[in-house]
Amino acid sequence: MKKIIALALVLTLVLTLFAGCGKKADANSDLKYVKDKGTLVVGITDFAPMDYKDASGNWIGFDADMAAAFAASLGVKVEFVEIDWDNKVLELDSKNIDCVWNGMTLTSEVTAAMSCSKPYCNNAQVVIVPAAKAADYQTSESCADLQFAVEAGSAGEAEVTALGYSCTPVQSQAAALMEVAAGTSDAAVIDSLMAAAMVGEGTGYADLTYTAKLNSEEYGVGFRTGSDLTAALNDFFAASYKDGSMQACADTYGVTAALIAQ
Amino acid sequence: MTFLQQLPIVFGALNVGFLQTLKLFGITLVGALPLGLIIAFGSMSRFRPLSIVTRFFVWIIRGTPLMIQLLIIFYFPSMALGQPIWGSGENGRFAASAAAFIINYACYFSEIYRGGIQSIPVGQLEAGQVLGMTRGQIFVRIMLLQVIKRIVPPVSNEIITLVKDTALARIIALQEIIWAGTAFLKGSQGISGQVWPLFFTALYYLVFSGALTLLFGWVEKRLDYFRG
Repeated sequence: MKKIIALALVLTLVLTLFAGCGKKADANSDLKYVKDKGTLVVGITDFAPMDYKDASGNWIGFDADMAAAFAASLGVKVEFVEIDWDNKVLELDSKNIDCVWNGMTLTSEVTAAMSCSKPYCNNAQVVIVPAAKAADYQTSESCADLQFAVEAGSAGEAEVTALGYSCTPVQSQAAALMEVAAGTSDAAVIDSLMAAAMVGEGTGYADLTYTAKLNSEEYGVGFRTGSDLTAALNDFFAASYKDGSMQACADTYGVTAALIAQ
Repeated sequence: MTFLQQLPIVFGALNVGFLQTLKLFGITLVGALPLGLIIAFGSMSRFRPLSIVTRFFVWIIRGTPLMIQLLIIFYFPSMALGQPIWGSGENGRFAASAAAFIINYACYFSEIYRGGIQSIPVGQLEAGQVLGMTRGQIFVRIMLLQVIKRIVPPVSNEIITLVKDTALARIIALQEIIWAGTAFLKGSQGISGQVWPLFFTALYYLVFSGALTLLFGWVEKRLDYFRG
């Protein structure tokens, strides 16, 4: 009996080792992989004005439209998949998605874990405070005593930590906004493009506003490390900027001012 | 957008999400209730290696968080093999969630079954043997109904926990009702910064588990004629 158990255990261990080794087998072209499979799977979150659903449930937005155009240029179909933003690198590495194309800030963590395109949009991290108190917190220095809510792992968290201010990491940028609205945090730090769409008059957070800009940064598209899709996308961006289709798309979604020349 | 304009959009999205919740709930029960019985027989087996391996497996599954199991089941095989195994889009995520929930709940059910089966006095087994019945006959004719009656309360407890545990599947982006409610926080279908849809999802769970409680009460009553 003991022999059988020992054998079973050894077998399990060996299998586990094999599973671990199989990982680095694909040095093949990612571009070819996507073309063979016939679909480009784009990992997104619901994030206006970059990726969001229209009234009939189709994905639209500056990023969604550009991703669809890129897929068309490769001759493949585009498929949008909503992901949990925390797991974006896992999703890429396990090939559940082929790229992350969702207003992703190019931080050093992101560029280390993915193969990233050239930046295509400017962005900034801005401080969100209740509109009634906004006058007191116009500069980043004046915000020193505030308790911040930031998205865990976001560029906003990096900025607040670098300034040495106290902050609570939460699940998402939206959760950070909710903290401010509920009064459980004094302020939040989120992307300026998102802030423009989500706070102020006519939005769900009418009594919040954004004040100090903490930095300026850029958006890019992420692929698996070593992927040759990155170069293909850079070429596509250059071509569509040259023929003006990228600017036209940016106009549609009101992000023209943030667009970066390719 | 006024509150009244938001209502139909929010209800539509929450209903779609809750349907996904119900699907996961249903398929987990269909898979885990029978699988649990197989695992229970395995852990009670007189063939020692089988019972040791089964109990080891149950220890692993009950000893680790379901959230980690979801992440491992969904991401690890694909990363190890270099290609996705769960299929693309929402269906792949549902298949992986269903696998994780079925395995996890089967292990909990198996222990409930084992407790139920072993609670039957050994004298009944001996009486059956004296009458010349086989072990299978004794189980089906003498023990089964008593076991069912005894395990209804703990099983219903587990099932009601399952209703709410389905929310964990959002970690691999399965779009169940909590996911649908959260979407209105950051903005979806023209509604952004609204927290009430997320809070409102609690009512769906509450009503559904209320209905289940009534159902289990009825089942217990039906089994009442039979004194175990």
